[in-house]
Amino acid sequence: MSTLSHLLSLVTEPLGYTFIQRALLSCALIGFTNGFLGTFIILRRQALLADALSHSLLPGLAVAAILVGLSPGGLLLGGLVAALLVALGGQLMARNSRLKDETAIASLYIIAFALGIVLIRFAKVKVDLTHFLFGNILGVGNGDLWVSYAAAFLTITLLVLFQRPLLLTLFDATVARASGIKVGWIEAGLLTLTVLGLVASLQAVGVLLSLGLLILPAATAYLLTDSFTRMLWGGAFLGLISSVGGLFFSFYANIPSGPCIVLLLAILLGIAYLVAPRHGILPKLLRGRHFHEESLERWEGHQGHDHDVPQRKDEC
Amino acid sequence: MSTSSSGNQPTLIVEDLTVSYHRVPAIHHLSLRLGGGHCVGVFGPNGAGKSTLLKAVAGLLKAETGRILLGERDLAKAAPRLTYLPQRESVDWDFPVTVRGLVEMGRYPHVGLLCPFSERDKEAVTQSMELFDLLPLANRQIKELSGGQQQRAFLARAWAQEADLYLLDEPFAGLDRGNSGTLAKALQKLKELGKLILVSHHALAEAEALFDTAILLNGELIACGPTAEVLTPQNLECAYGTAIFSGGHRHTHA
Repeated sequence: MSTLSHLLSLVTEPLGYTFIQRALLSCALIGFTNGFLGTFIILRRQALLADALSHSLLPGLAVAAILVGLSPGGLLLGGLVAALLVALGGQLMARNSRLKDETAIASLYIIAFALGIVLIRFAKVKVDLTHFLFGNILGVGNGDLWVSYAAAFLTITLLVLFQRPLLLTLFDATVARASGIKVGWIEAGLLTLTVLGLVASLQAVGVLLSLGLLILPAATAYLLTDSFTRMLWGGAFLGLISSVGGLFFSFYANIPSGPCIVLLLAILLGIAYLVAPRHGILPKLLRGRHFHEESLERWEGHQGHDHDVPQRKDEC
Repeated sequence: MSTSSSGNQPTLIVEDLTVSYHRVPAIHHLSLRLGGGHCVGVFGPNGAGKSTLLKAVAGLLKAETGRILLGERDLAKAAPRLTYLPQRESVDWDFPVTVRGLVEMGRYPHVGLLCPFSERDKEAVTQSMELFDLLPLANRQIKELSGGQQQRAFLARAWAQEADLYLLDEPFAGLDRGNSGTLAKALQKLKELGKLILVSHHALAEAEALFDTAILLNGELIACGPTAEVLTPQNLECAYGTAIFSGGHRHTHA
């Protein structure tokens, strides 16, 4: 009994602190939202683009810190502008030169990252680079919380509202365009939401790990289901529980929250990779060699086959 | 060439169409008129503009001269009435969608952003799966289908969309004889139901069995009409014996 109440107090005790409450709420919101958004990024095959964008946030954050200090709104705007400049600049470079788009974007984002590290030295306020790089969830203020609310609300609303045209675009952009969908707008909107998701997760996990919250939950869900809707909400759910769980663990183990959350997500991905019923590697190995009898059976009858069944030639 | 169009059967009118890449016209001042209830093969050597024609009709490429009409309406406003079937290799077969989910996508242009599916939408989905013999496969993920079944699933999506004009880019490429047969049967069914089907196709063998009408291209239109009258040795020599235009001489469009 005392062990149980002791365990319970492990959960309830930190909840007594306001800064923990804020951190948890922020983490839960961002975990859920980015897990949801992740499905779209994975199916659009833009995981690596999102990585590039996460790095290119840094100069924007630095410029915002120089101009307006550490206000969440300023950081959000700075990060958004910097990442969009890199994304658009990469497209522009690829279109007007021999460089392919992944070369152009990779060049720009690493330049932006270096520029960011330099610029941060010029901020008037004392900024710890590691806060930007790895996050500082326990420093979540009320302003940050508002950013989380706004990002979560905006992202989920837009994605749910435009789910159908988004799905058509993700599945096949050419066909979607032919059926009258404004594919360019959809893609630009998705890119903007990606950057918003990255910026919103800065406090929790920082620039370098923000990709984890965006990609890992949806990747795990992708291995577990063949349904788009289940992948969406499953990714959101996994993002939520891992963010909250990771935060608790980081509180007790006294490890930064970012790595805790990402490693918890990694454990879930590892489990799905190994034992997912249909797409995991262990079930595939255990499923046996091949359908020997079944393959031979079809020569006897006509069930389960929609083509003309050839006659078995016993003489050959 | 058929000009008849009765009831709500579609008439595709292409007038003076030119589409060019870097000033080299892939399709050059092409005009044709096709009525519903026809299965039309688009023939010509590589680079003759077969895919370009389909993509231009699908609204994926910008017309430099001329216009394309479906019935009386400009094609841009007729988007849900046409459907473009992608080449097989451009589809992500791992996408988390079942056959039913794929066919339901066809209803999206009709249901708006958030409205749930009405009885009529559900009916249309079930009916088109029935039409293409997909009901037993409804809950399969699309990768678990054979090549012919995959093609049929995409046709069922187009049918659920209530499209009148079907544009298929090399659908027979890579299909074995059995799968080609089922696809041909499905196209035949669409034709009998009054749809207009445009198919780019590179093999000339069996052309007459597959298509009642043919278009022969080499940048410019060489012939358009009943398959047997179009694919004559003379026309074919003209289409395949002439080099593809690649921008040698001066030719500008004022």
